[in-house]
Amino acid sequence: MENIVLSIGVAAFAGALAAVAGAAEDTESNIGSQGDPNSQVQLAPQMGYMHRIFNKAVAGEPPSWALWIALGAGVAWAFMAMNVNPVLAIILGSVLASFVQGVYATTAYLGRTASLAKFGQPVYVDILKSVTPVTTAHAFVAIFATVTICYLMNAVLGHPFPLPILGIIWGIALGAAGSAVGNPYYGKERQYQNQKFGAGVPISASGNIVRYAEAGERSSLDNGWFTAKYAGPASGICFGLIVFFELWRHLIFEHYFGGWGSVIVGGIIVLLITIMARFIEVWARKTYGPYTAPEKKPDEEAA
Amino acid sequence: MSAIAAKPAGGAEMPKGPAAIAIVLLLVVVGIGYYMTMAGFFTMAIFYSLIGIIVGGMLVTFSVHLVPVGGAPAAMGQAPGIATGVTMLAAGAGLAGLFKGAWAAQFGYLPALGTGAIGGALLMALTCMFVNVTYVYGMGIPSASGKVRNDPITGDSQDEYKSQGTEGHGLPFISYVGGVLGGLIGGFGGTLIYISLYDAYVNGLPTLMGGTTESIMPIAVSVAGIFAIGMFLVNAVLTAYNITGTIEGPHDPKFKRFPRAIVASAVASALTGLLALMIIVPMPF
Repeated sequence: MENIVLSIGVAAFAGALAAVAGAAEDTESNIGSQGDPNSQVQLAPQMGYMHRIFNKAVAGEPPSWALWIALGAGVAWAFMAMNVNPVLAIILGSVLASFVQGVYATTAYLGRTASLAKFGQPVYVDILKSVTPVTTAHAFVAIFATVTICYLMNAVLGHPFPLPILGIIWGIALGAAGSAVGNPYYGKERQYQNQKFGAGVPISASGNIVRYAEAGERSSLDNGWFTAKYAGPASGICFGLIVFFELWRHLIFEHYFGGWGSVIVGGIIVLLITIMARFIEVWARKTYGPYTAPEKKPDEEAA
Repeated sequence: MSAIAAKPAGGAEMPKGPAAIAIVLLLVVVGIGYYMTMAGFFTMAIFYSLIGIIVGGMLVTFSVHLVPVGGAPAAMGQAPGIATGVTMLAAGAGLAGLFKGAWAAQFGYLPALGTGAIGGALLMALTCMFVNVTYVYGMGIPSASGKVRNDPITGDSQDEYKSQGTEGHGLPFISYVGGVLGGLIGGFGGTLIYISLYDAYVNGLPTLMGGTTESIMPIAVSVAGIFAIGMFLVNAVLTAYNITGTIEGPHDPKFKRFPRAIVASAVASALTGLLALMIIVPMPF
């Protein structure tokens, strides 16, 4: 019984840590402008729109987060093998991985922005100095939280994979959840704030991103401030639920029906989520309505 | 040309010449595996592991075609799908399944495969739902497909819900179902690869290293995990080249391209699988 209570507690703690990690990951990727929306940051100068937005697409979010978290987990694992206290080991691993993220961010900004020199886009050193530490700080939060989750899975819950492999798996999952949920909010809602609300960005508007703030030019820090209010928490809840449900259904139901208990419970959860997804889709169609009148069929026109 | 303007230009047909070469290569690699079994380097169980890896790889490849991936245009609400890359999303789902399947391997291989499949489906279901949460509640945009007039499952009309100048946005129900099925099959395939490798290593490594099964267990689990992740990525990247950019799900015309990717995947899985299994063959020197 104590084991079950401890397991549920650890699963809930891991879910909460994952929510923090997801929110920090999305905010980091929006301040640093990583992932698919960065295509517009790269495109804007080519269309004649110079800007002061950070430009860091080191790689797609999932592989880059897999790298940083596996690195953090690997270093922490090595320190733990040297009998260093796990808390200190995780902190040291996360600091080193954050440092690598900072190096990637710096070289990515300089390299990507320098490649736009022929379009007249300057490299701003003050942006490098002001934005890079903020992305790195957010990266540290996400890396520390995720490496801690991996450690809990391995050391407390007894998952057979060693820490670095868990780091790769959950790093990719973190990046996948963060980029899938958070990217549209940064890409459409923030970068194209000058377009109509409640509609996609017309393809003809590509590259015309918002470049000015209330006073002066828009900074990437403003983008983090904006997306942290919706996309960050949404990404966090998504990743938190993924981690929690994966752990919860294993720890509580795995022992029923010869291992099939967690499969059944997982199937029920997927079914419930499907019903919710359908509800959201129908709600949007009813509440917002169509953009244009539906086309009449030929027999209706004849009547 | 934008990514949206790049329309799929066919590709559903299977080119005969390359397909024949691929099948010959597959037979050669499987033949090498069979020869090594007959020559006593492999046990029959290891040969079956090779077959398991090939089937797992083909399932992973098929699953990636089902996942709705919108890439950069989806991030601007210009095209439906999830705003990230094909490889990455599929890998996220498959590896979540692998994580869960590996954990359940103690209960037997069948429950592990089942729970691995559900693990992938769970990640995709949550991710797909939250994509629509962002579109609907954060951006006020309903879902609409750009490839079909009516959703094949619900029958909902799509055209009038596409905002002006876009190819659609969000995840219509058919794309959601495609994503969950993709996660389900990908999680199953990834776990099948892992279990095939794990089974081979658990039986082969003690003889090779002269230790007990318990003592080599951490090595077997780690090496099987790393190879399974690698093979998953091989198949997911291979599929990304077949899809070329974005895909809406099973209703997208690009989905019909999957047979040729499966043939390529069988060859890639056979070769990588054979190499992964050969590490437990004792060298004569």
